[in-house]
Amino acid sequence: MAGRSTALLTAEELARQGAVSAAVEACYEALALGDREPRIHGLLAHLMLEGDFYDQAISEATKAIEIDPDFSAAYLALGLAYDRRGGMWDQSVLVWHELSEVAPDLVTAHVQLGEAYAAATFEDEAVESWKRALELDPKEARATYNLAIASLKREGMALALPLFRQAGELDPSQDELFFSLLGVGAVPDHPIDPAKVKPTRTARLGAAGLALKADDLFAAADLVRMVLDEDPDDPEALALSAYAYLKQEAANESMACAMRSLSLDPELATALYCLGVVYARRTGLNRHAARVFIALAKRAGTQALVHVLLAESLLGLQRFEAASKAYRLGVRLDPACVRARFGLAASHLTEGRHAEAQWEIRRAAYYDTKRQGLFWRLYDEYVGAGDDE
Amino acid sequence: MAAEDAADLYQAFVDQDPAAAIQVVERVRTSGIAQDALFDALYAPAMGLLGGAWAAGGIDEITFTQAAVVAEQVASFVMPAVARRDTGVTVVVGTMHRDRHSIARTVIAATLKEAGYRVNDLGVDVRPADFLERVEETGARIVIVFAEIMQTARAAARVREMLATNGRDDVVMLVSGGPFAADPALAREVGANGVVPGAESALKLIARVARDRAAKAEADV
Repeated sequence: MAGRSTALLTAEELARQGAVSAAVEACYEALALGDREPRIHGLLAHLMLEGDFYDQAISEATKAIEIDPDFSAAYLALGLAYDRRGGMWDQSVLVWHELSEVAPDLVTAHVQLGEAYAAATFEDEAVESWKRALELDPKEARATYNLAIASLKREGMALALPLFRQAGELDPSQDELFFSLLGVGAVPDHPIDPAKVKPTRTARLGAAGLALKADDLFAAADLVRMVLDEDPDDPEALALSAYAYLKQEAANESMACAMRSLSLDPELATALYCLGVVYARRTGLNRHAARVFIALAKRAGTQALVHVLLAESLLGLQRFEAASKAYRLGVRLDPACVRARFGLAASHLTEGRHAEAQWEIRRAAYYDTKRQGLFWRLYDEYVGAGDDE
Repeated sequence: MAAEDAADLYQAFVDQDPAAAIQVVERVRTSGIAQDALFDALYAPAMGLLGGAWAAGGIDEITFTQAAVVAEQVASFVMPAVARRDTGVTVVVGTMHRDRHSIARTVIAATLKEAGYRVNDLGVDVRPADFLERVEETGARIVIVFAEIMQTARAAARVREMLATNGRDDVVMLVSGGPFAADPALAREVGANGVVPGAESALKLIARVARDRAAKAEADV
């Protein structure tokens, strides 16, 4: 018993470090000592999933659940293995349904359940599942992307596009784009005190960018104001203000600052970003948004999300083929960009290419669930509960 | 249009006077600036002035926010028109009898509607006679028949037969769906005038058909 526990702990440690082969080996060593420990099978399922060996993952997760039907991490691995393998939607629906019972607050289970329903063409049930996910977490971007796809199928692009944009704004990647354009680094672990920032333009703007990234809008506003008091025609300071207003849902103030900034520096990427986002939010300004995002793509063409923003504007202009090209470029630049994948799925649907659309949605789920790292959360909760008992 | 107009609009924003702002917009519109150009020619420069005044400390934060509220009230007067103009062209769409696939039809119908076409959507499981009946009712001269199954795709020939039997050879019948995309000869076999692979091609194809029709009608006159 003690030997098995040691081998399991070793396997766990190796798996957490990402040493997949060594961890698998350690799991088999643990299994050699006894095969009735669900954690070993669950761990193996997770490792097989990481290596994209879906059939093996299904087999191990199934064994784990047979031993302990309350092992939520194994359900997660099993559901993901079914979905990533494809063509097993009926089994997938059952697993996600089960997991949503075992772990009712697990948002991803509802999102995945919805996608499994949709793949099995149970559209109403799918929409219900995504709505349930959004009840649990109103900021769940993938549920909103899926609802946008469902709206496209039922009502067409004009009604679906606002949902795509809404999902995009829930997606943290949009803010990341701004900070990448701005070139700010990691947020400090202490609050920024404007009074202590070196009294130079560069230091103040740098600190204002960090304060914005840390959601400290007051500090950012103070620092930007100091810069503007010395030079009201500073385009970078105006662009930071435009972003700060954008974050406060003050679109007109943001537009005013971005307009002024661009009148001083027509190629400033951060100001182009803010103006484009403001335009994209307004019905009727898709042409304007596309124009701004084309300018931004010239300045920051290596950023996947710039092409995604452009593509969304092109969808609004009914230029589906151009949108598809822009989305493809976005996916090429960042294969893990969920927003680009869903957008590409939408443009495939406008061209009647349903299988390709379904594939992109599956890839989006693949990257999104990999990023979430939910397995360890559920695994640790399970181990913790076992320890309590 | 002079820069003074943008300055006047800016001043109306700062004075929190929506009526004056609308007057400026109407003045510029009556001077001959098209609705689609008002945003760029008037509103955007006024917003730039507003941002500049705030940056320079010419107006305080509260005035800036209140001016932005007035700008919001005026925005609808300067926005380019959202809905496209009615083209006057009616298109009947429907998915063939015994076929319940609706996604492509919904997406294409919505795209055509948004582009200003009068779309009559018959839904799924539509019998050939229903296509004819709707063509007669609406005077449509363009029909798009959707089919996603080989059997129902072949049955599109019955729509063409029905139209021909009733003296409606003038109706342009387009087809859409997987079987037609996979086998371009199938469209000819069923008597279709063209294949619609997707929403953007639908727009291009229908625009071309409508243009050809208009040119022919003009020539006949």
